[in-house]
Amino acid sequence: MPPLLVGRRVLRGRTTEEGTVPAVRADKLYKVFGKRANKAVELLGDGRHRDEIKQLDVTAAVIDVNFDVKAGEIFVVMGLSGSGKSTLIRMLNGLLEPTAGTVEIEGTQITGLPPAELRRLRSQKISMVFQHFALFPHRTVLENAAYGLEVRGVPREERLVKAKESLGLVGLDGWEDHLPTQLSGGMQQRVGLARALAADTDIILMDEAFSALDPLIRRDMQSQLLELQATLGKTIVFITHDLNEAMRLGDRICVLRDGRVAQIGTAEEILNDPANDYVAQFVEDVDRTRVLTASSVMEPPIPVIDPSHGPRAALRTMRENQTVSAFVVRRNRQLVGAVREGAIGEAVRNGVKELDGLVDGDIERVHPDTAVADLFHQAAESPYPLAVVDGDGRLVGVIPRVTLLAALAPIGSGDDTGNGAGGGEVAADGEGDSSVKGADEGGATAAASDAPAAEDTDSAAARASDGPPEADTAEEGSER
Amino acid sequence: MNLPALSITVPRVPVGDGFKAGVDFLKDNLAWLFDIIGTIIEVCVEFLGVTLSEPSATQLFVAASVVVAVGLWLRGHRYSATIPFAVWIAVWAAEAYGGATTAMLSQLDPVLFTWAQSLFGEEARFVYPQLLPAIPLFLALAVLSFTMTRDPRQRRLAIYVICGLAAFIALHFIVGVQLSLLVTMLFVLVAWLIAGTGLAIFSLLGFLLIISMGLFDDAMSTLALIIVATAVAVAIALPLGVLAAYNDRVSNVLKPVLDFMQTLPAFVYLLPAISFFSVGEVPGVIATVIFAMPPGVRLTELGIRQVDKELVEAGEAFGAPDSQILRNIQLPLALSTIMAGINQVIMLSLSMVVIAGMVGASGLGNQVYTGIAQAQIPIGFEGGIGVVILAIYLDRLTGAVTRFSPAAKAQRAAASR
Repeated sequence: MPPLLVGRRVLRGRTTEEGTVPAVRADKLYKVFGKRANKAVELLGDGRHRDEIKQLDVTAAVIDVNFDVKAGEIFVVMGLSGSGKSTLIRMLNGLLEPTAGTVEIEGTQITGLPPAELRRLRSQKISMVFQHFALFPHRTVLENAAYGLEVRGVPREERLVKAKESLGLVGLDGWEDHLPTQLSGGMQQRVGLARALAADTDIILMDEAFSALDPLIRRDMQSQLLELQATLGKTIVFITHDLNEAMRLGDRICVLRDGRVAQIGTAEEILNDPANDYVAQFVEDVDRTRVLTASSVMEPPIPVIDPSHGPRAALRTMRENQTVSAFVVRRNRQLVGAVREGAIGEAVRNGVKELDGLVDGDIERVHPDTAVADLFHQAAESPYPLAVVDGDGRLVGVIPRVTLLAALAPIGSGDDTGNGAGGGEVAADGEGDSSVKGADEGGATAAASDAPAAEDTDSAAARASDGPPEADTAEEGSER
Repeated sequence: MNLPALSITVPRVPVGDGFKAGVDFLKDNLAWLFDIIGTIIEVCVEFLGVTLSEPSATQLFVAASVVVAVGLWLRGHRYSATIPFAVWIAVWAAEAYGGATTAMLSQLDPVLFTWAQSLFGEEARFVYPQLLPAIPLFLALAVLSFTMTRDPRQRRLAIYVICGLAAFIALHFIVGVQLSLLVTMLFVLVAWLIAGTGLAIFSLLGFLLIISMGLFDDAMSTLALIIVATAVAVAIALPLGVLAAYNDRVSNVLKPVLDFMQTLPAFVYLLPAISFFSVGEVPGVIATVIFAMPPGVRLTELGIRQVDKELVEAGEAFGAPDSQILRNIQLPLALSTIMAGINQVIMLSLSMVVIAGMVGASGLGNQVYTGIAQAQIPIGFEGGIGVVILAIYLDRLTGAVTRFSPAAKAQRAAASR
């Protein structure tokens, strides 16, 4: 696994500088409830499972948790009930004192801070959104949203203006004078979000913030959160028990199991490279098409044809690679269009010397961040593999239909789908590399730099081809 | 078989004597404290009783000023609400302890007052030194209500109070309607404003019945006793309840103490109360406070503990100190439960009036006690009816106040969604 994996959203241009102070750091964090907590920490530190120390009459909620949350990322802590995620989040803002270990907020160690200092830090740096909204029923929506500023001592007029602004951000204009109980669940949680936003803290903790909402509204809220995050760039620690939600929101995901960290990584990493059986089992049911993006399933664009070449050269390239179509790409990797073997062959027979009139410019192009789920329709319509094109119009990869299907197969399932999954894995590894390079070089030439390496393998041509799936799997299968 | 008679001697524990010794100790060492407490309570009860049954013009002006000032205070004009009162208290004190106002007035040109004399004519005797500072107090607050705020509600309040005061003064001092009827009208007005038409009609009929039984003054001194006892009980119960809600140990200690206070027969602590405060209103108030306070503590604790933990956590998560969480989150949301507690305190106070009457407190309780002592069924029954009317009036009134609590508003809002 590469040492540093920046989330896919970083590719869109937000920079995460290495070496800066993490927004939130948990260092060997333990929370054990019970009288003999310290003894329990000792035993747990030696690697005992929390069920093994039952005789101490303690409850170990959080065991040896370490992570850094980078400024501006959405860090999702995911676990089933009883995995200690709520306890963990409450230690991050000092509502609970850790039994052992420390929490740092923007470089300030908050563990052991005097209560007044801790309150000041909370009101200025961390706000929170709650599972059951925790709105004050006796205050209007506006007054609720202004609460954080009220605590901080901001004058009434000023804080109401700010609160109104943040209510606008979450789309609650015109509801200021209502009481929270008059609002629907989704709207109430928007108020909760507005309250956290109005407090104007860099860090927002969200404790199962959307779990109490209907699925449809939950999706809405997730989208809205992502939108807001894109413009505001807050650091968000998001707790959830819903893997799909974690995959959708998280730049990185921390999977908790029985109080311990099972794995920390991006959605793709967790999906494609689970650290252990528990995580693997967990991700089995996830809707992979919503998590995986075009960039994580795409394959190197081979072969490509330079527009200056003639039809004869193009035909030879395609035959060499045993494909029936190929993309036409300029030297700077700008995508021009695609050509089909049939049309080129005819042109060669008719003695056409120029490729110009033969290139089909009307082809399906998709952005690297498009979710796989959104690719199916386009893939079905297009006679070519889907062209994955970055913001500057450069071809970074291709997605043949068969790859799309292979991406759906869970890891490690039966032999018949195993090959396809293998292909997916290769692609995902490539994406891992490309993310790193993308971060370094501005996310431009990831696929290009990968291309030579992939060319070495014999199956590359087959994978890039648009042939029938049977042929594909047969070829790859024979290789094993 | 012949078993020997087994008898174990249980030593006599001197409980009663110990209690007596404790009472004597307190009486010997803290007599000054009891004197102060007794005096304050007595003055309060008597003053309130007189104000309710025969309000003077000064008291009316001050009461009206208080209503307007509370309105100003609630709308955020704290200085406007308090400064006039501070000035008034200073002037009043100067008059009371040296006749400063009288002296000052006597130095002024009498021409300044002749207009008042001619205006009131024969009734000029109603203009007296204590009244003079109260009139500018009220005028100042009325003017401030119009200048300081653009809130129409405050202006409306001021207009209503001015009209009410003018009507009251005109009806009594010029037309000559008895005070008891006018005070009854005030009660009806309050009932109408807070609880609605039903209670207004009931209170009109009820208080008229009391007047017709010739018990109005007695009813008012009972009301004064209840108000003072309730105020004392709530003043003690609220902080205790808050403390108990915050601290389990306090709660565990308080519970048996409260049970003790509620179940110990009243007569048992009436005796020491008399020995501390001698007969009169004060031991009545003390006994009432002891008996009536427990539900106030219990319901305050319950109310605060019932507030959703997540809301308190939200306050903490945003960095609010405990005092703010208590003031801005817990107390407002516990208010309806606390009001139910206060309602219980009032009801229990009413049940104590007869016992208070036994130790010399004037009022309906005394009336009932006289009826018992002289075996006069009519006297006792009439006193009892008076107590019942007061009880229903106060119960419905405090119940209606609960409707204005923030939590109740939120609930209504949820229902109307």
